[in-house]
This record gives sequence, structure tokens and C-alpha cells, in this order.
Amino acid sequence: MAYLVRRTANSLLLLLLTVSFVFIAGRMIGDPALNMLGPGASDVALEKLRRAAGLDDPLWLQYIRYIGNLLQGDFGVSYRFGFSVLPSENLDEIGQPVMDIVLDRLPATFLLAAVAMGFAVPAGVLMGVIAAAKPRSIADRIVTVIALAGVSIVQFWLGLMLIVFFAVHLGWLPTGGYGGFSHALLPALTLAARPIGRIAQIARSAMLDELAKPYIVTARAKGVQEGRVVFLHALRNAAVPVITMIGDELSALLTGAILVEKIFAWPGIGLLIIDSLSRSDLPLIQASIAVVAALVILVNLLVDLCYRLANPRIKLGNGA
Amino acid sequence: MKYLTTRNRCVAVSTIIAATFVTGSLLAEPMKGSLVVAVNQEPQDLAAQGAYKEINAPGLRNVLETLIAVDPVSGDFIPILATGWDRVDGSTLRFTIREGVKFHDGTDMTSEAVAESINWVWSTENAFTIQEYAGPGAITAVAIDASTVEVRSSEPDPLLEFRMSLNGISSPTQLAEEPARHFDTPIGTGPYSFVEWKQGQYWSAEYNPDWWGLSADDAYGTSRPEFAGIQFVFRSEDAARTAMVQSGEAQLAMFPTADECARAADADGYHCVTGPSTTYLYGRLDHSLHADERLADPRIREAIFAAIDIAGIVDLYGMASVPPGQLGPRGTIGFNDVLQPYAYDPERAMALLAEAKADGVDVDGLNIEIVGRDTTPRIKPIVEAIGAMLGIANVETDIKVQTPAEFNPRVRITGYSNEPGRQMMQVHVKQNPSGDYGLLLLSNYACPNIDDPTGPSRSSVYCDEEFDGKLFEALASFGEERAERMKELVKYVHDRHLIVPLALLDRGHLVENGLEFTFGTDHRIQAVYIKPVE
Repeated sequence: MAYLVRRTANSLLLLLLTVSFVFIAGRMIGDPALNMLGPGASDVALEKLRRAAGLDDPLWLQYIRYIGNLLQGDFGVSYRFGFSVLPSENLDEIGQPVMDIVLDRLPATFLLAAVAMGFAVPAGVLMGVIAAAKPRSIADRIVTVIALAGVSIVQFWLGLMLIVFFAVHLGWLPTGGYGGFSHALLPALTLAARPIGRIAQIARSAMLDELAKPYIVTARAKGVQEGRVVFLHALRNAAVPVITMIGDELSALLTGAILVEKIFAWPGIGLLIIDSLSRSDLPLIQASIAVVAALVILVNLLVDLCYRLANPRIKLGNGA
Repeated sequence: MKYLTTRNRCVAVSTIIAATFVTGSLLAEPMKGSLVVAVNQEPQDLAAQGAYKEINAPGLRNVLETLIAVDPVSGDFIPILATGWDRVDGSTLRFTIREGVKFHDGTDMTSEAVAESINWVWSTENAFTIQEYAGPGAITAVAIDASTVEVRSSEPDPLLEFRMSLNGISSPTQLAEEPARHFDTPIGTGPYSFVEWKQGQYWSAEYNPDWWGLSADDAYGTSRPEFAGIQFVFRSEDAARTAMVQSGEAQLAMFPTADECARAADADGYHCVTGPSTTYLYGRLDHSLHADERLADPRIREAIFAAIDIAGIVDLYGMASVPPGQLGPRGTIGFNDVLQPYAYDPERAMALLAEAKADGVDVDGLNIEIVGRDTTPRIKPIVEAIGAMLGIANVETDIKVQTPAEFNPRVRITGYSNEPGRQMMQVHVKQNPSGDYGLLLLSNYACPNIDDPTGPSRSSVYCDEEFDGKLFEALASFGEERAERMKELVKYVHDRHLIVPLALLDRGHLVENGLEFTFGTDHRIQAVYIKPVE
């Protein structure tokens, strides 16, 4: 419990540093009002926005107000619509709360990550185990090649090939867009290629280490069935690096699916971040990155807890 | 009728009523399901001002209509929400408003509503991007009576009709009651009324059975919309848009690449239609104001332009044609048919540079920065090719492709005034939908006002008092006189090697077989111009 409390405190501090960095970076790249309204904006419009958004206050005051609002769960409103003309100087009346926009995109991000990891984890682990069970066999070589291809393949190319094959030629799946499970299949397969490869590589390596250890030799000598030796004894002990890799890949899926989201027009949080950056929608950028940072921190925390589940001998908080 | 029996009378009347009903239904009801269009970008917003530029808000003209519009076939102005218009004087237009038109929220389109909508869009206090097409004066509108609206410019404006073909007319009731919704829920008068915008995915609209065009003799396009609904799906990847048409998910995909368009010739189920656009690719070489002084030497400028193989650039771009020695296409008011593209002659380029060197100009120290913006299609090979071409003429170059955040400020006064001694050729695309050289000359060649970075010529790097004097006289002139003055100015800037026109771009669309799509140089996607092949 003490470990959890300490990790949570550390995570909150990390989150604070992240949002502070984004807040300062957003103001280092020029006048936020000018960035939002564009170089054609009139002085009147610029002044109205600065006044309405409090951008004419000293930076320290803006920061304190921002953090204070965050603590109350208020991330502000998007300036995407209406910011240029400000029919009202009360931004809350004309802007959509950014957290609503981010939360609206999260289900799409979660669905895509879940389906992709649903492919990647079983496939990657199974491939790694099969390869390690018979090293230097044909199966091992095939797994090695597939894993290498998965890690190396260009997502953009793979995504387009999947569209051409499954959507255009076979007509089985939609070319993109957001809808039911069928819409998620192609982007998830595209995203899963890399995690499958990396998990397979790590699982193979970890399993080879475990299968060479004396307790495995003893188990085999005692006549324990090979499947039990591999899947129950060795795999459980090899799980820690595999879990670490799964955590890494999951974090990458939550934050780095931008290219795939773009190809398949999948309205996830990656696409939202790109859109908000291109439109200089500062409150939306801040909220999106804060949420993504929180997700990554949460995934890392869960990974740590999973270590303990996988191997009870691991003591969390003692350098684990 | 008096010769008919009572029974027969009943039958005849019933038949007429039935026929009227059936015919009326056929005229009023669309025949097909939804028209799905794969477009290359999501609109920033769907505000009324966005109706001016198809590329920023694809399809918006299906919902929001303008007072007048440019006919996609003839190129002439045609009546839309105005049934007629007259020029009162050089700065005033008087429009007769179409009667009986209702906004999609059920309110009447009165002359006051039209005036209010125009004032909203063109207000100089607002920062709407339509201001890039603003004229010499501020535009205001006032309702004269129940059916007349007068649009005034504070300065004489020969292009006021053109400007009135740009802005959508939207419900002022919405502006008064829910101003924020103006940006994401357009309420217009068009043949389709807005349904929803799923951000990151699509926006859609449904057939408007109360559209005025169903009963008007002078409706534009077909007066019988073919589709029950329209959906504009956002797909930024070219190949993904093509796949949507190939798989039958979309009936139309905008702006395929030249290769995709060529492949469509052998494809089943869809074809590619192309047409000229008002977009041009050009190279602007720094000249006055903070530029390296060697670039003011006419021999060096001519040498650089002579080193560029324009036909080669056109081939590289694909779906484009060699521009006729000027930025506007044939037919633009002020087009000068005497001019020819700058001739590709690397030997002359080297001779000119040698001549300048012999006169003491430090030619060897030149290093031209060739810069493109990464959002321009095929920009990287194009700037690399220009670099290689200049290399053949022994001109050093530095090739860069920059993001809009890096590129845009350098194009404008605010950027280049911070870079003294700059030697940059900006390779970029621009549009000139006005059909007149006025905007083109003003934005590209008029000396920019350093103190006003928002001015219309903020992306010009050229300062010439003689030219500016003639230009502002030409901008205030009308008719034949205007065309002649513009022609003279087009030649003036051509002879000074200020901007090299690199390509006039064509645009294409992939269209499902069985559909006919009519579009003009603005390439607007309007469902009333898409109908089954007869």
C-alpha cells in the first residue's frame, strides 16, 4: 500500500511537470492569441481574445489560474469555433469544454488499442514460446523472420495494403472510418504488427533463458509434461520482461497511433492532438497531452502491479 | 369540360389530381440514396464565411447559398438568392432578393436578414479568412426595402460582384440566439439542410424538400436533387480516398494524384474527371526589402529564371500545364497573350552570370535558398529539381521543405524583415478565383507596408513606386480600360523577372460510373451538379 501511495504521488508530480511543460511550451512558441487567430487577425480581434482568455495577464498569474482550474477539473474551452470573432466575451458560453472533446475521442483510442493488443499479445507470446521451445528449428526461423518483419514494416504501407486487399478486392471490411468492430479490424491489424514482432522477440529471448535453467532440467527429469514445463513453469517466470514490453507497446498505441489513425480516419486521441496542434488550439493541446500523459503513467503503474501478480517473489518498491 | 358527364368529370379531375400528385412527388423527391464524397480535409469550421473557398470547407455550398454565384460551365455570374442586381455606381451594388425563401430553421430570408449576414461575414472587426478577398474598401450592406439590399464598398470596387459570390447567407436568428453554433451548425437556404458533424469523421446533410429551387424557373444545377442525403467523409490520404471509390463506399473522391487518375482509365466502376483550376505554382525570388542586393541585378534574376526548365517542373507535378508566362490562366481580365513562358536556356543563364561576374558582382558567393511548404503536393521533388537545375548553371542552392509554422512567417513581411540579406526563392501555390488580375498583382507585386503586416500585399517582396502608382490606378478602373491597364502591368512584372510561373494546376475527381459531375475552375462539389448520365 505504501508503495502504491508513493507511486501515485510520484505520478501526480510527473503529471504536474508535464502539464506545466506543455503550458510553458505553448507560450514559448509565440503569442498564443496570434497563433490561434492567424496572421490576418485584426488588432481588435486579438485584443478581444487576449482579454477573454486572460492572455494579457502576467505569465505567473495565468499559470496559477491554469493549475487552480485543473485541480477543479476545469481544463478550459476549445477556441476552435468562435474564437476568431468572439460574439461573446465569455468564452465559456461559446467554446466547447476541451475535456468533453478529449473524452469523446477516448473510446475510439481504447477500442483500437484493445483490439490491437488483443491480436498482439496472444500472437506475440505464442510465437515467442514456439520459437524458444525448439530453438534453431524451422518454426524458430519462421517466427524470427515474421517478428523481424513486424518490427520493420512501414505502417503506412501495411495499412494501405490491408485496405487494398480486404476492403477493395475482397470487400470484406470497410476502408476506414469509425463504426463497429469491423471498422477497427484493419487499423488494429496494422497497429498490431510491431507489438507482435517485439513481444515475440522478447518472449523468445526470455523463454530461452528460463528453459536453460536448472529447475526446468529438474522438472523434465522428473517427467513433467513438456507443455506444463513450458507454459506453466517457464512462461510464468519469463513473464516479467514480456509484461514490460506489453506495457511499452500499449503506451505507444495510446500515444503513437497517429499515422494509422490518419490513414484509416480513426477519430482517436492521436488525430485530435495533430488537429489541435495544426489549429493552435492551446487549451485542447494542453488537455489532450495531459490525458495521454495520465494514461501512460497509469499503464506503467499497472505494469508494475502485474510484475507482482506474475511473480509473487518480486517485492514492489524494493528496486523491482 | 362541359361535354363530359358528371362521372367522367370526376374521373378526369381525379386523374389530374393524381397526375399532379405523382408528378409533384417525382419532382420533389430525390431518386438515390446518400451521396458520399471522400474529401481531403476536415473543415476548420462551417461558418457562413467558409463558403468562399471549397478547399477549406468542402461541400458547404450545398447548405449555404450566396446571393450570386459563378456558373461552372459559362463562368458568368448567375442569380442564386438574388434574382437580379444592378450597379448603382463604382462602389454600390443593389440586389433584388428572391421572394419566399426560408432558412432551414424556418425563418424567412428577408432583406434585413441578408444584410445582417453580409455585414457579419465582411465585418473588418472579425478575423474571418474571407478578408483575403476583401477589396480596396470596407463592405457593408443595408436593406433598402422588403426586397432590396444595397451592398456598398467604402472605396470604388470593380470586383464587388465577385466578392458577393463568395459569402454564404446564413440565419441571423442563429447568430442572435446561439452564436457559437454558427461555427459548427450551418443554417442556410440550400437544397440540403445540415444534419451533423462528427468531428474527425464526416459532416452530413439531408435533402431539403422546401428548397426554393424546386419551384423556381431559374434554379441552378438540376432543380431536382438526385440524392436523399450527402455525406462528406474526411480522408487526408490520397490512397484512402481512392480506395473508398474503388470499394463503392464513396461515389466521389476529390483530388486524386495524377497516377491514380491515370489508373482510373483502366478501372471498373469509376472514372477520373479533370479540369483546370485557378491554382498556380510559382517561384518567388527575393527582390527588394531586406533581400541580398545582388538579387536586384536584372542579369542575375534572368539567369536564375533561364536555368529553370518549366516544362520539366510541369511533368514532375503531373496534372498541370505550362503557364503562359504569367500567373493567371487565359480568360483572366488583364491576361496578356503576347507573353511566353521564360525560356529554358542554361547556356544563356551561365553567360549572364559570367557577364555579371565580369562587372564585379560576386556571383560565386550566391547561395539561393529554395523553400517549399510540406503541405504542397510533390513539393520535395520540385524544390530538389529546381536546385539541380540551378546547379547546372553553377548557382549554389540550399533546399528546404518546411512546415507551415516555419514557412508562413518567412513568406510574409513579419518574417522576411527579420532576415536581412536573404536570398530565398519561395516555391508555393496560390489561387486566384476572381478571374481578374487585380488581386493577383496586388498580393504578389505591390510594395508591402512594413507597418501593416495584415495588408493585402504582405506576401510581396517587390517595391517599385512606378509599378504601385500604375497598379492602384488600374485597380480603380473598370471595363476595357481596366483590362488594358492590367495587361500592361502583367508585362511589366514579367520583364523584370520577379516571379517565375511554374505550373497551372489541374484538379481531378474520381467519380462512380453512371454519374456525371459538372464543376468549374473552383471545383466546388455541389450535389445539384451531380446527376445520373443520361
